[in-house]
Amino acid sequence: MENTSLSKNSVSFGLALALACVVNAIIVVVKEKSDAVMNGMKKVIGHHWTTHTVIVLALFFLFAWLFGRANNGKGMTITAGRLISTLLSGVIIAGLIIVGFYLIAD
Amino acid sequence: MNEIILMSHVLFGVACMTSAIWLFVEVLNANEANLVRIRRMSWAAAAAMWLAFIIGGYWYVTAYSADKAIILKGPWPFAHNLVMETKEHLVIMLLLLVTYLPIVASNNLATSKDARKLMLWVTGIIAMLALAMDGEGAIIAMGVKVGLLPK
Repeated sequence: MENTSLSKNSVSFGLALALACVVNAIIVVVKEKSDAVMNGMKKVIGHHWTTHTVIVLALFFLFAWLFGRANNGKGMTITAGRLISTLLSGVIIAGLIIVGFYLIAD
Repeated sequence: MNEIILMSHVLFGVACMTSAIWLFVEVLNANEANLVRIRRMSWAAAAAMWLAFIIGGYWYVTAYSADKAIILKGPWPFAHNLVMETKEHLVIMLLLLVTYLPIVASNNLATSKDARKLMLWVTGIIAMLALAMDGEGAIIAMGVKVGLLPK
């Protein structure tokens, strides 16, 4: 029999993914525009890109954990359609910010 | 050694893309019989991308500066300024997507229409993004090649 349920982890990690993608793009703009941020990121692990990756991965898992704890630990309540559109929006917006920045602003 | 590292990066990246396309087709026909295979392939796609990422990342951090100098002095500086710069940041999104893949695959895809729909979107985005990364890698390699050609 068909059902429409998604696991708690599918929802929380899906929302976290969308948010982490946008944060990823924002970090790109901030570090490229600020020498202080860029130099700081180079100092943390030795290369700005390595630090960038670790920050985004850590935020992804942190966001997923936080979304999973919502509603007294039951996780976020959202329809699959809404989750998919949020996820797609996050990926597309982040992609456009990154490509647009290096194409136009940088 | 650098060439082997770089070719391994491409090999695992293509393996991830192929796995995502495989998964897309499997999910279109999801039933109780292929659920285990879908879950195993999801882990395989994630493992392939993580390997591609770690190997490519190692090469980028330790060896790319020489190629970067060649590209920037050559006729295709955009191969670094636009293509490599976008690739190194878009690929982080690809890493998040493949990490998410086994989580979505852990749903019962045979009975949940929504889980199948989500899985199709995730595998579709992974396949397209991986293809874009492959194309960007080719442009970067060409940027080095034209930079080395006699003027």
